[in-house]
Amino acid sequence: MWSEALTVNSVQGAQVFTHLESANRQGIAVSGGSVGVVWEDNRDGSPQCYLAIKPEKRAKFQSEIRLSQTECFEPVVVALGAGRFVAAWEEAGQVRARIVPGGAAIRLTAVESAQVTLAVGAGKLYAAWAEQAGRFRRIVVATLKVTGGTLGVSLTQPVEAAAPVDEQGWPALAVAGNGHVTVAWEDRRDRHTVPMVSQSSDGLDFASPARLTDRKSGSSDGLGAGTGAMRPTLTAWGKLGVAAVWLDKRDFLSGYDVYAALVEANHPFGRNIKVQDGFGDNMVQWHAKAVGDTRGRLLAVWDDARDGTPDVWLAEWKGDAFGDNEAIPAASGAGAQSDPVAVLDELGHLHLVWLERDENRGTRIRYVRGVPR
Amino acid sequence: MNVIKTLMMACCLWATAVLADPPPNYPFVNFDAGLKAARASGKPIFLYFGRYGCAWCDHTNKKTFSDASLKMLYSDHYELVYVDAESGRRLTLPSGERITEAELGVRLQAFATPLFVYMTPQGDKIMQIPGFKTVQDFRDFDRYVRGGHYKQKTLLEFLGGKS
Repeated sequence: MWSEALTVNSVQGAQVFTHLESANRQGIAVSGGSVGVVWEDNRDGSPQCYLAIKPEKRAKFQSEIRLSQTECFEPVVVALGAGRFVAAWEEAGQVRARIVPGGAAIRLTAVESAQVTLAVGAGKLYAAWAEQAGRFRRIVVATLKVTGGTLGVSLTQPVEAAAPVDEQGWPALAVAGNGHVTVAWEDRRDRHTVPMVSQSSDGLDFASPARLTDRKSGSSDGLGAGTGAMRPTLTAWGKLGVAAVWLDKRDFLSGYDVYAALVEANHPFGRNIKVQDGFGDNMVQWHAKAVGDTRGRLLAVWDDARDGTPDVWLAEWKGDAFGDNEAIPAASGAGAQSDPVAVLDELGHLHLVWLERDENRGTRIRYVRGVPR
Repeated sequence: MNVIKTLMMACCLWATAVLADPPPNYPFVNFDAGLKAARASGKPIFLYFGRYGCAWCDHTNKKTFSDASLKMLYSDHYELVYVDAESGRRLTLPSGERITEAELGVRLQAFATPLFVYMTPQGDKIMQIPGFKTVQDFRDFDRYVRGGHYKQKTLLEFLGGKS
């Protein structure tokens, strides 16, 4: 059962360009019943990041607050509990974060950096981002500390000590029920884009990276270096599990497909599982996101245009495969509905946000809550 | 002199890192630079939407873009733009919207690489062509675009009528 759809952003227009893009597609969080949504738009003449909150028991989102002062991109948000959030974003070439409400923005690093993401779990708060390290960017993970209303960085370190040999980016983080930290990212060390993953039992020492994809790199008849896969997302799932969902072009004639891999009870990511059903096979998928909770519910959301225009789709994990794809009623039909971000709350309710594009009226950020029947 | 050499090497390294897999020795530039150059020169834009490590892009580079006369034709008459299909690098659309290079693939509904997009000097799309194409194909596309035939005919109509 779905709630009535709400509009999140208060400013729209044909020349206002609104984006929900971020590392791990971490654009929504639920904290003590309050829903927080972050995005970027250019209403003030340059790209800026905003956060809007719908307090528990309020019917609508409050007016958004601006998080940034100068050009801002790819904001993310996680819940601290009791209606508080931590937001992070890229601003003026460095990643920053703050507690909301209240709190002052801090730089997470003094180095040129981008594509920040956040994760909370087992009483800890982590951030990851892509940071310039010589010629290329590499993935860095930080432990953040919250003291009252103040945010700080207690430890920052790269996932790998060695300098990157090609580009790394778009990290995703998840903290499993036992406190183990998983980080996934796009990696080009094999001369094409491969989602890689590394795990740490304490958030300090990360294991050597492994591939998320079970498809090997290699040229085809001496050409190229391998098929592409991009934008890995992670979620904690069940008591100890972690799930990954990403876009994968192994079937290179039909665009990106949505693939997943699961960690169960500390067993490493295994076989890759196709998420979309057969009706989406000959269609390119975009903006995939893994969504899980500690109760063991796991799903993926994304958009594709199998019915003629972009719609938001959802598939639930059924224990051995993902189920039939379902179009979200308010996020499907005529017009373009795309770029979903979503989170499950403590009650198992799904909170979903997406873009509803209209060339004349502009883009609305829409929100619904789904309650299991 | 050493400073200049270092800067030139740094520029080469940057170009290699960012531009991934365009054909060698062509004057491909990024989207924003290409659009700016097209507005100044009045030349149409030839946008190569490629993927890092893409086998069919590699095949096209080796079989087609290795042709010296094609290189001269396209280098002389187009602003050449390379976009990396999986990159987070940002570009500015003619509307003023800033998106990533990967997101441009969403807007183009790109299902395969390479994808070739011909655009007016103002950045309006004329047509997009997916997949491997021969030297002759690109010569035909050039006649269609620079001859202005796209204003009256579809590409299929144009190609069907060629002698």
